[in-house]
Amino acid sequence: MRILVVEDDLDLNRQLCEALTEAGYVVDHAEDGEEGHFLGDTEPYDAVILDLGLPVLDGLSVLENWRRDGKTMPVLILTARDRWSDKVAGIDAGADDYVAKPFHMEEVLARVRALVRRAAGHASNEIICGPLRLDIKAGKLTKDGASVKLTSHEYRLISYLMHQKGRVVSRTELIEHLYDQDFDRDSNTIEVFVGRLRKKLGGELIETVRGLGYRLGSEND
Amino acid sequence: MTEETISSAAEEAGKAKPRQRSLSGRLIAVATIWSVVAIAVAGFILVTLYRQASESAFDERLDVYVKAIIGDMAGGEPGKPTRPDNLGEPRFDLPVSGWYWTIVDDRQGAVVFASLSLFGDALDLPALPASGETTSVTSGPDGEEIRILQRRITFNDEEVYRIAVAGATKELREQTAEFAGQVALTLTVLGLGLVGAIFLQVRVGLRPLRDLRQSLANVRNGDAESVEEDLPKELAPLAIELNDLIRSNREIVERARTHVGNLAHALKTPLSVITNEARGTDGPFAAKMAEQAAIMRTQVEHHLERARMAAQRRVIGVSAEIEPVVARLARAMSKIHADKDLDIDFEVPKGIRFRGEQQDLEELIGNLLDNACKWSNSRVCVTVKPAPAAGEGRERVEIEVSDDGPGLTAEQRKEAVKRGRRLDETVPGTGLGLSIVADIARIYGGALELDVSELGGLSARLILPMAQAAVRI
Repeated sequence: MRILVVEDDLDLNRQLCEALTEAGYVVDHAEDGEEGHFLGDTEPYDAVILDLGLPVLDGLSVLENWRRDGKTMPVLILTARDRWSDKVAGIDAGADDYVAKPFHMEEVLARVRALVRRAAGHASNEIICGPLRLDIKAGKLTKDGASVKLTSHEYRLISYLMHQKGRVVSRTELIEHLYDQDFDRDSNTIEVFVGRLRKKLGGELIETVRGLGYRLGSEND
Repeated sequence: MTEETISSAAEEAGKAKPRQRSLSGRLIAVATIWSVVAIAVAGFILVTLYRQASESAFDERLDVYVKAIIGDMAGGEPGKPTRPDNLGEPRFDLPVSGWYWTIVDDRQGAVVFASLSLFGDALDLPALPASGETTSVTSGPDGEEIRILQRRITFNDEEVYRIAVAGATKELREQTAEFAGQVALTLTVLGLGLVGAIFLQVRVGLRPLRDLRQSLANVRNGDAESVEEDLPKELAPLAIELNDLIRSNREIVERARTHVGNLAHALKTPLSVITNEARGTDGPFAAKMAEQAAIMRTQVEHHLERARMAAQRRVIGVSAEIEPVVARLARAMSKIHADKDLDIDFEVPKGIRFRGEQQDLEELIGNLLDNACKWSNSRVCVTVKPAPAAGEGRERVEIEVSDDGPGLTAEQRKEAVKRGRRLDETVPGTGLGLSIVADIARIYGGALELDVSELGGLSARLILPMAQAAVRI
C-alpha cells in the first residue's frame, strides 16, 4: 500500500513517514501544497494524509483540485483547526476523515488502515480469501489458522492482493502501489516476490493471468 | 465587565437622571401649547372686535333716534320745541322697557320732554363735556345697564337743550356672549383639528426614526445583518455609521477568532511532534516529556476554548438557519463514521434560525452528533422544533440529538456536562465534547439537557435562542 504524506512541519512529516513505513506502507512525502498536489495528481496512492495549513497551496485547495480532476483516493486531513466548521469544510471539500492535532500516531494509523480497507470495499479489519485470513490491524496473515511468517515486502504484496481479491492486478499497478516513486520499474522484483509467496502459501492461490497480471481468489469469493 | 453589570449600571444611570421625554412628545407638546395660545388670543381679539362693532352699531342706532328727536322737535310750531312722538320704536312707549329718551333744558336742568317708558322718572344723566356729545354707560331707572348718547343742541339761537337717548345693553351683551360662545366652540374644534394634525404630522414625520429603531432591533435579534440605509438624508448618515460599527464589531471578533486559530495551529503541530517523539522513545526522560506534553495539550485546549468563548456572542446581528447546518453535519458524519453504516435522520423545519454565530451552532450540533454517532448502534436522530419562549421577544428553539446506543446513567449524565469530563477514554475525543456544548449553550442563555432517548440511548436536548424571522413550517 502506498501512502502520500503532505505536511509542512518537517519533524511531523518525518514521524508520520517513519510510523507508516514501520506499519508496512510505502510512503512518499511532500512538504508543500504544490508538490503534494503534483504527487497526488500523478502517482496512484492508496491513501493520502494531508495537512490543511500548507505553504504555497493550502490543503483544502489541493484536495478540491484532486477531487475536481476525478482523483478518488481516500484522504485523511490533519488539522489544528478543530472546530466543526473547519472539519466539515474539509469533509465537504472531499476528505474522508480528519484527525485533529495534536494527535497520537496510533490514531492516524488506525484511520489510514480504515480508509484503505474501506476504499477497497471491505467492512472489517479482517480480509478472508479461501484459506487465507489477513488481520490488517495486527499485520498478520494466517493460512488455515496457522500463522505465516512473511518479510515486509512479501506482506505488502499479499496485503495488496488480498485488498484487491478477485480482481486481476497488473505488474505495473503492483509496482506503483508497493514501491515509492524512485523505484526502478523495469526490475523483476515483483516476479521474485510472487514466487516466494507461492512457495510459502502454495502455488495455486496466486493465479497468473497471462499478459494481464496476477489474481488472488475468484471473483465470487 | 459582564453583560449583567453593564445593564444594571445603565439602569442606575436611568434612575438617577429622569428619562428624556420622547421626541414626538416634545414636538406635540410644543406645537399644542403654541396652538392653544394662538387660538385663545385669536378668540379674544375676535370677540373684542365683535363687541366694538356691535357697540358702534348700537351707538349709530342711538344717533339715528337723537337725529329723529331733533327733527321732531323742530318740526312743530316755529320757535317752540315740539314733543317728539313718532320715533318708530314702540319700546320708548312701554314702561321701563330699557329704551328711553329725554330732553332737558341745559341751563335750568329741567326735563322738557321724556319718553313714556320713563314713567315720570328722571334719567340719571352723566356729565356732558363741552364738545356737546358723549356716549356713556350708566344705570337706568330699573337698575339695568344702559348705554346713553347725549347731544347738546341750540334751539332758536338761545335755548340750549340736552337730548339723551338710552338703550338697554342687555341685548348687546347677550349677543356678544352668544358670539363669544360660538367663537369658542368653533375655535375649540379648530384647535382639536390642529392638535390632531400635529399628532399625525409628528407620527408621519418621525416614522423613519421608528423604522430605524425597528431595523436596529432586527439586527440585534439576528433577523437582519445590517441596518436599512434607505432613510431620509438626516438619518442616513446615522444608519451608515451604525452599519460601520456593526461591521467593525464583526471584524474584531473575526480577527480574534483567526488569531485563536493561528495560535492553535502554531502550538498543536509542535505538540504532536513532541508527543510522538516521546512515545517512540524509551527511558525516564521520554516518559517525563510525554507526561508534560499531555499536560500542555490539555492546557492549550482549555485556554483556546476559553479564548473562543470570550470571542463568542459579542457580535450582534447574526443568525444562522439550522437546516443547512444539520444537513451538512449529517453528511459529514456519515462519511466520518462510514464504518458503522449509520442511519442519520433529521427533521428540521425550513426557515427556522438560531440567533447566534453559525460556527457556534456547528460546534454545538457537531459535538452532539459526533457523540451520538460514536455511541449509537445504527440510528441517530436530530429533531428541531420551536420551544416555549422564555419571555416577550425571546423565542427559543429546541434541538434534540438522540441515538440508540448504550446511553448514560442519571449519575453519568450529571457528570458529563461538567467541564473536561470524558466518560470513556477509549472512544477518541478531546474530553470536552458535552461540557463544551453545555458552556456554549449557557453563553447564549440556553441550556443542554441529557435524558434517555426514545431510541433507547442518550437524548441530548439543546435549548437555544431563536431568531424572530418568520418560521415557515
